[in-house]
Amino acid sequence: MRYVLAFLLLVGLLALLAVLNLRVGSVRQPDGAIVWRLRAPRMLAAAVLGGGLSLSGFLLQTFFANPIAGPFVLGISSGAKLAVSLMMIFLLKRGLVSSSAAMIGAAFLGAMLSMGFILLISRRVRRMSLLVVCGVMLGYICSAITDFVVTFAEDSNIVNLHNWSMGSFSGIYWDSVGVIALVTGAALLLAFLLSKPIGAYQLGEVYARSMGVDIRLFRAALILLSSLLSACVTAFAGPVSFVGIAVPHLVKRLFGTAKPLLMIPACFLGGGVFCLLSDLIARTAFAPREMSISSVTALLGAPVVIVMLAGRRRERD
Amino acid sequence: MIKTENLSVGYGTTPLIEDICLHLKPGQIMTLIGPNGSGKSTILKTVIGQLAPVCGTVFLDGRAMAELSPLEAAQKLAVLMTGRIRPELMTCWDVAAMGRCPYTGRLGILSAWDREKVREALSLVRGEELAPLPFSEISDGQRQRVMLARALCQEPSVLVLDEPTTFLDIRYKLELLSVLKDMAQKRKLAVLLSLHELELAGKISDCVVCVHNGKIERIGPPEEIFTADYIKKLFDIQTDDSELFVFHGGKRLRCGYTTGTCAALAAQGAARLLLTGSAPVSAALMTPKGIRVEASLEDCRLEGGSAFCSVRKDGGDDVDATHGLLITAQVEERDTPNVSIEGGAGVGRVTKPGLDQSVGEAAINRVPRNMIEEEVLSVGDELGYEGGFRVAIYVPGGEEAAKKTFNPQLGIEGGISILGTSGIVEPMSAQALIDTIALEIRQRAAQGHKRIILTPGNYGLDFLRAQGMDRWGIPVVKCSNFIGDALDACAAEQFQGVLLVGHMGKLVKLAGGVMNTHSRLADCRTEIFCAHAALCGAAPELCRALMDCPTSDACIAVLDRAGLREAVLDSLLSAAQDHLNRRASGAFPVGAAVFSNQYGLLGRTSQAKELMDAWSTL
Repeated sequence: MRYVLAFLLLVGLLALLAVLNLRVGSVRQPDGAIVWRLRAPRMLAAAVLGGGLSLSGFLLQTFFANPIAGPFVLGISSGAKLAVSLMMIFLLKRGLVSSSAAMIGAAFLGAMLSMGFILLISRRVRRMSLLVVCGVMLGYICSAITDFVVTFAEDSNIVNLHNWSMGSFSGIYWDSVGVIALVTGAALLLAFLLSKPIGAYQLGEVYARSMGVDIRLFRAALILLSSLLSACVTAFAGPVSFVGIAVPHLVKRLFGTAKPLLMIPACFLGGGVFCLLSDLIARTAFAPREMSISSVTALLGAPVVIVMLAGRRRERD
Repeated sequence: MIKTENLSVGYGTTPLIEDICLHLKPGQIMTLIGPNGSGKSTILKTVIGQLAPVCGTVFLDGRAMAELSPLEAAQKLAVLMTGRIRPELMTCWDVAAMGRCPYTGRLGILSAWDREKVREALSLVRGEELAPLPFSEISDGQRQRVMLARALCQEPSVLVLDEPTTFLDIRYKLELLSVLKDMAQKRKLAVLLSLHELELAGKISDCVVCVHNGKIERIGPPEEIFTADYIKKLFDIQTDDSELFVFHGGKRLRCGYTTGTCAALAAQGAARLLLTGSAPVSAALMTPKGIRVEASLEDCRLEGGSAFCSVRKDGGDDVDATHGLLITAQVEERDTPNVSIEGGAGVGRVTKPGLDQSVGEAAINRVPRNMIEEEVLSVGDELGYEGGFRVAIYVPGGEEAAKKTFNPQLGIEGGISILGTSGIVEPMSAQALIDTIALEIRQRAAQGHKRIILTPGNYGLDFLRAQGMDRWGIPVVKCSNFIGDALDACAAEQFQGVLLVGHMGKLVKLAGGVMNTHSRLADCRTEIFCAHAALCGAAPELCRALMDCPTSDACIAVLDRAGLREAVLDSLLSAAQDHLNRRASGAFPVGAAVFSNQYGLLGRTSQAKELMDAWSTL
């Protein structure tokens, strides 16, 4: 019963925010063109990418058995960002316009490289907090290199690049939405099909194996899916922080369970709600100026993470 | 059914345990026992496929484990390993239901049949009422039962458990194991587990496997395995230092441990029992000699506010009067953060001055006192307890045993002494020791040494170090009580100078021509003091006082009071020199330096003076 209500709540919020996102903006009485050509694709992209990000966070948290793991804190988003900026500059120099597929490809490569690095570290350090610290450091390194690259990029598109590297849902049009929906939808479906082994994995690797999970296959799938999701988000919206940690946590509280069968769709919906809300705030709070999406998600998400950590500490004591 | 053939297990390619052949039939319980780190867990991890075998095969229901798919294996074998799990927001029902994984469809949704199985498993472990509770909020014992229900949901034919009783208190231990035994019979399960608790292993197992020294040392029904001798061998002290006593004949002497070590081990166990409420199976400590000793604890119990634990004295190959006695420690909490140590029944009491402890105190020497204090305080530290302890040591039967020791002569009454400076008893079987000493002297000669220092024991070594004599570059050999035999060995190896450095209590016997100074053979210390004092003009009263002294230090004190120390020592030392010369019969110059712990260097024979003057300027 609780689950049904929670799902209804999420769907309701999603619909409400979708409408608001279409209606509200710097232009008071928007004509159909603005709504259809600018706001609608942006709204859809924010909802789907938010969902993907949140799902990626949930998968990473399961994988590392660490409630504060997420694509952003582990440096995976930043790795993707670095790869995408390098590729953009490389292509722009040659006067080429990058395609969505190339962007996702580059982002995926960057995400996998970061992920590989984090996996190497996770073999050496056993403590969860240390792993997160390493991830954050990796993120800083990648961001620094990105900034460096952006600073010395000579092209006039530098402003675009800069905006993108701060994180934003603006500038997404219908052609991109199709790709986003395809990639994210496929990842969502695959993750959903993995919910049984994910559930078993929540009891730890040893037990998962003993209950019939092919651990190597499963780990590989989990890494690929979570990297793909965060790569897709980064390719189109730049790095977006805290969605991956805050949303799964809030959704777990809302449902009162961590069962992957429920969590995977719920996290996806929750991420959509969260990003729609954040994007609405980013667009309207200081209209016509736009805030970066990461600032808003951080403002909304970071307190959730802090409360969660404080709560865990209390439990342990 | 599970079977292993020529299985070697370990990490990587180095085998830790080789040649494991186990055969477990349905309905049987097989238990692995062995000291910590012997490799029990490694075997279990390999059997369940978590570790790849170094070589050999594990067969599950007749098929090689490696050939089974993870799913097939999961339908035959379920596990319960060490390490707590902390699943988030899961009820006990959720955890138990996870066990249905190998049977449910792609999404893992439970059918009515699955739910029935989960209910059945929970009721088998008597955990129905736990089902709706959050897994993180139940006790350790309940958690183990839920995890067991989860394993049963897999409907396995084999169940593997790694120390399932570790976090449980004794009531839950018994409960869990009785559930297991039940299950093995009712469901015809083959159960393979490892256990710490020998008595529990004895109760539930059909077959016991002893893992020790990198191999399966024994397999058999518990009544064959649990013989006192074998368990001692399996769990007792690690004689890794015994290499010291290996010599050409290939005969090896086993070290034992002193009454002091026993008391400290028992106190450690009792302190742990007192603070945790559960009795450890064994206790271990580092002796002052730097050798780790582990012994099983016996007769542990809580009574009122006191915890009791006992350790059986094991003298190794040095069987003396105290061998086999139980040393019992009683430990209570105390408000002040220090440790008081008392002696109860069976522990002697000091009645004459001049011993390690003052008159009226229990005969528990300084080193054992320090050891006991250190052990109980470190248990307190480990468990976050900040108060102090009151420790009392008892030795049932100690009063009787003490009559066979020298305690009555030393003025220790009512029981044995708790003593030992190194914590370890080095075996003293005479011929073996003499051979060892001779061997060591021969080795020194072979290394080209022409001069040698002999000293009876640890006190002498300490004294040499304190005097800086260990830096002369002259080898030092411990000759125990066998001074004459050591001198003979030196003569045989054609040494050109021998210096004996020893405690007054031993070397005074040289003045009487006693060349084996073991007190069982000859205790004539006070008689010799008395005779030489009389020669130097001591009055009969003084002679009587000397005869009554418990120790040589006390004799010196008596002589000091009479102003006769110098004269008597001169007389003693020249007599000792004569006897030494006779034994060496001109083969080499030999001298003796005598000290006591209380007075330091007491005197040197004429030859010792010459040797030391010459050697110190080398």
